[in-house]
Amino acid sequence: MIHANQTAQAALKKKHKSPMSRKEAVAAYLYLIPAFLGLTFITYLPLAGVFGISFFKWDALSAPVFNAGKNFVNLFTKDPYFIDSIKVTIYFSVIAVIGSLIYSLTIAMLLNRKIPARGFWRAVYYVPYVLPAAAVYMGWSFLYETNFGLFNYILSQLGIHKIMFLTDSSAIIPSLALISVWLSGNLIVIFLAGLQNVPRVYSEAAEIDGANAWQRFIHVTLPCMSPIILYNTLMSLVTNMQMVVPALTLTNGGPGNSSMFMTFLMYRYAFQSNNLGYACAISFVFFILIAIFTAILFATSKTWTFYEGGDDR
Amino acid sequence: MILNSSSVSSQARRKKIADIFCFAIVVMAAALVLLPIWWIFRTSLMTNAEIYKFPPPFFPKNWLFSNYGETLKYFKFWQDFRNTMIIIVPSVVAGTLTATLCAYAFARLRFPGKKFIFSLCIASMFLPPMVTLVPLYIMWTRGLGLQNTYWPLIIPYFCGGGAFNIFLLRQFIMTIPRELDEAAKIDGAGSFRILMQIIIPAIRPAMIVVALLLFILIWNDLLQQMVYINKPENFTIAVGLTIFRGAYKSDWASLMAATCMTFAPGVIFYLIGQKYFVEGIVMTGMKN
Repeated sequence: MIHANQTAQAALKKKHKSPMSRKEAVAAYLYLIPAFLGLTFITYLPLAGVFGISFFKWDALSAPVFNAGKNFVNLFTKDPYFIDSIKVTIYFSVIAVIGSLIYSLTIAMLLNRKIPARGFWRAVYYVPYVLPAAAVYMGWSFLYETNFGLFNYILSQLGIHKIMFLTDSSAIIPSLALISVWLSGNLIVIFLAGLQNVPRVYSEAAEIDGANAWQRFIHVTLPCMSPIILYNTLMSLVTNMQMVVPALTLTNGGPGNSSMFMTFLMYRYAFQSNNLGYACAISFVFFILIAIFTAILFATSKTWTFYEGGDDR
Repeated sequence: MILNSSSVSSQARRKKIADIFCFAIVVMAAALVLLPIWWIFRTSLMTNAEIYKFPPPFFPKNWLFSNYGETLKYFKFWQDFRNTMIIIVPSVVAGTLTATLCAYAFARLRFPGKKFIFSLCIASMFLPPMVTLVPLYIMWTRGLGLQNTYWPLIIPYFCGGGAFNIFLLRQFIMTIPRELDEAAKIDGAGSFRILMQIIIPAIRPAMIVVALLLFILIWNDLLQQMVYINKPENFTIAVGLTIFRGAYKSDWASLMAATCMTFAPGVIFYLIGQKYFVEGIVMTGMKN
């Protein structure tokens, strides 16, 4: 099919100047006007803007003043929050991403078996994802309540000491990461879609050769799923690195700086202290950080992802 | 012969036990996933005295739906809900339609620069919107004077509805046999007619998926709404709820009632669309 398309395309390229294909191209550009405007004015120009503005001192009232790289120097040498915010953001996203991936892949594998009312269960796992984030964190703040909350009650039944989930600086990030895992129902759906594309023959062949369930998982399912694992890892990473709602609704960055996410710090500088240039410097470092993570993932992915039948993009 | 068949049946039995075991895990994990929601709901129906009881009861003694009435006196749910809908309805409609247009161009039409534009589009999927928050804020407020309006929250959705959605629809359109539009083309149909009469009817489930994803996206957003909306009468649900929490910090029954109210619309929309929803994502065959 793809091959046939390509030959058709190649054939068309030869008579490229035909009025038919000109008309088609004009129509295509018309259809792409919204996306073009969006990519220009909502995505890439503001991205350039972040970089540009980060070299200015700009508060709300006066005109911007160029101050070379002073914003960046201050960030890394003087700012009492910034270094902590990088650590918090990385720490949080690493455990949230790993937790979400393990949880969602496990559930997807289970849901991929022949079980009764599969559609119903699939829907149940997706429900947390459709709840508004602000409400989710508010609801969970009661579950995490130190004295009357559900989790400390369960722990007390198991004979474990109370944990101050949201007020202990060492517990807060794992507590918030657990909520992220709970919210990752969308990953389950994407994993399920991928699992349904794994050819059964491989698994069956391995079974005939005497591979047990675990071996089949490691040597058949994981390699076939690797492109989707890569995709989900990236998506989950982008989601969790820009986590900001828990800090806005519950923690205000505390206790101490223990939930001072980079995006929250950026928000505070931009909209509470009106320091737009400085906030852009944070955004820019944040962007570089995400770019580095993405690049590492893509670079290493060549060694662990597997595309069936070569690259068919 | 006999040995062989008995080993086959024992294998079948082992498989059956494994199936039952997996089903049990699915059910238990689903219960765990729903437990927080139930706990929030049951708390919303209790008196504050009952909330502080130890051990905490699993069911409320009296189902105090009156808590909701009390909460509504201070939490302007209906006003906030209306405001949220003013943002969501045009955004979802425009986002879905413009995403369809773009996806159609990428999936079916040939034009110079296609690869380049498409990769720009895909790359933007990995660009967190948080990065560009401040320049966009400057553009909307200083540049265009749109502070305290909903426009900065709506207009972006008129611009393609997000790279992921374009990608999803493109994948879906590519599964439709090309012969259909080739035939229409021979009959003299232009690309727009092919889109309206062949493509859109065929991809309706995927468009519903996109509409729901956009709904969830906006429904979930708090930061941007906080940045652009300052007047209490313009608050959206997310902003209203956050402010409400600030004012009623320790009144757990009211807080949980407010939380449940904001849960409801999303869940209802999801239950309506759920049939198409998960199927649609599965059907697009997210191969790469």
